[in-house]
Amino acid sequence: MSDLPRIKSSRPAPAQRFITSRRLCFLVAAITIALLPLVFPSSYWRTNLIVCAINVLLTIGLDFVLGYAGQLNLGQSAFYGIGAYASTLLIMKLAVPFWVAFAVAVLISGIAGALLSLLAVRLRGHYLAIASLGFAVITYQILLNWISLTQGPLGIYAIAPPPPIRLPWLPAIVFTNLTKLLVYLILDQLVRSPIGETLTAIREDELSAASLGIDAPKWKAFAFAVSSAVAGAAGCFYASFVGTLVPDSFFITESFSMLAMVIVGGMGTLIGPVFGAICLTILPELLRGIGDLRLIVYGAAVTLVVLFMPGGLVQAIRIMAHHVFAAGAKFEARL
Amino acid sequence: MLSVILQQGINGIVVGGLYVLVALGLTLIYGVLVQINFAHADFVTLGAFAAYFVAQLLSGNYFVGIAVALIVGGVLGWLINAAIFAPLRQRGSELLPLIATIGVSIMLQNAMLLLFGPIPYAFNTPYSSKVIHIGSLFFTLQNLLIILVSTTTIALLYAFMKFTFLGKALRAVSQDHETAALMGINPNFLIMLTFIIASALAGMSGALLGPVLVLTPFAGTSVIVKAFAIVIIGGFGNVEGTIIAGLIVGLIESYTTQFLDPGLIDIVVFALLLIMLAVRPTGLIAEKRAENV
Repeated sequence: MSDLPRIKSSRPAPAQRFITSRRLCFLVAAITIALLPLVFPSSYWRTNLIVCAINVLLTIGLDFVLGYAGQLNLGQSAFYGIGAYASTLLIMKLAVPFWVAFAVAVLISGIAGALLSLLAVRLRGHYLAIASLGFAVITYQILLNWISLTQGPLGIYAIAPPPPIRLPWLPAIVFTNLTKLLVYLILDQLVRSPIGETLTAIREDELSAASLGIDAPKWKAFAFAVSSAVAGAAGCFYASFVGTLVPDSFFITESFSMLAMVIVGGMGTLIGPVFGAICLTILPELLRGIGDLRLIVYGAAVTLVVLFMPGGLVQAIRIMAHHVFAAGAKFEARL
Repeated sequence: MLSVILQQGINGIVVGGLYVLVALGLTLIYGVLVQINFAHADFVTLGAFAAYFVAQLLSGNYFVGIAVALIVGGVLGWLINAAIFAPLRQRGSELLPLIATIGVSIMLQNAMLLLFGPIPYAFNTPYSSKVIHIGSLFFTLQNLLIILVSTTTIALLYAFMKFTFLGKALRAVSQDHETAALMGINPNFLIMLTFIIASALAGMSGALLGPVLVLTPFAGTSVIVKAFAIVIIGGFGNVEGTIIAGLIVGLIESYTTQFLDPGLIDIVVFALLLIMLAVRPTGLIAEKRAENV
């Protein structure tokens, strides 16, 4: 490898490289998040942004297994619910400290995801989608019917918010959003590592991947575990920030909303679902007037994006950027 | 005790027969296209509402309602094939059509919620109040009607698939699109026909289920999850397996309601599904197909 000439000409200058680099993007994102409480002083918008951050967590988790490993997991609402109920019950019944409960809840959801994947190890595509949907239905029914544990449809109320970290300037909104950024960073590193390529190989052609020595079931279980652990973390935050838990928050339609966010944003890119989650969470709040139309818009968005723009918002932004740059180049040429 | 078991057996067969009608639609489509229409169950709901409005409000005959539901289902099937499955077929993606129809399902359910409201409709036919007694057993005329219609339809469909030219062509297409096309069969026409038949069946079973089910815009969700369970337990694409599995799920449902708890129905059915997937993912009767499993 060392005697191959390195192509230097195409590499931009260090300063330019820094502007386009991922590190700068993350820095900008971190600063934006730190400024959020100053920009949005009202508690209404703070709550919305917390919900938004939770949705971003859920969607990047789902995209990791759907967009990268190519496995349609419709059971995400179940892992979300498992995380929420596990952490809440640990805190309320066993008086476990928040962060311990958080870690255990993430672990439990991750293990549940890996177990489901191992059970469904021989399944692909449609069969997996339906098996995971079945898992979501079972989990929902258990949450609803195991009344002695979950209080069923009555729900659990007055869940304490997480203890503030000993930094007075770190309100909940910054906290959840920073967690989101952290998870994004971890997943970003994961998909850029050989693991990401392994998962993509499985998505594209499982047989060829196997011929390259990739143990597909193992990696699929890994992708499921990561995705469900992220959903579990989101569930833990949801419980503590919203303060109440009812099984209906974890019905299978929740999985479909997450799917809508991933598809609209653009699956197979990590940044796409972030856009998708933000758009589909904030837009309905801005369009309060349409009320019941919210879910109709979700459904229509999913169908139309699949039919006409399978790359989602990311593809739309790329096309627009391309046109803008092309127009700019033409303009320069005319000068 | 025996009479309770028999009584619940009858109820199970009534519901099971209707599930078979819904699941057969899914399995037929899967047979020719290897695709799933997630909005299939919403066609059931729409069929139920169509029958309700024709029979109750326009004071029409219940049978006119069933016929209208059949037509509504058929039109919806044609539409979803033309709008979603036909354009996406060229792209050759496995999951995109499924995702698109999840979108359609969300849209249909919430449009119905907007139009009809969340309060369950009381769909009473002239037959649901007439009770027939045989010994200690009893069933309503509606149940008898459901058993009659579903058995006749299933028998007709079976005969159509086995003995008519179109049915044979359909089976040829589900085995091999290209070879069937070489034999002068137009696969696109047959796929369209399959969608129309399958969705008309869904609409009709909606008209029959309406008086049995709690008729809300979300009635379809509880039906579709069971229909999925049935097609997987029976073996995707296999007609006989689907019939057996449908009756099994119907019986499980009524016996769970009787001896355990109605809240446990979904858990028992899906536990069976997950066990089935782990142990014998090809279903009760395996189609010769290597994909997916």
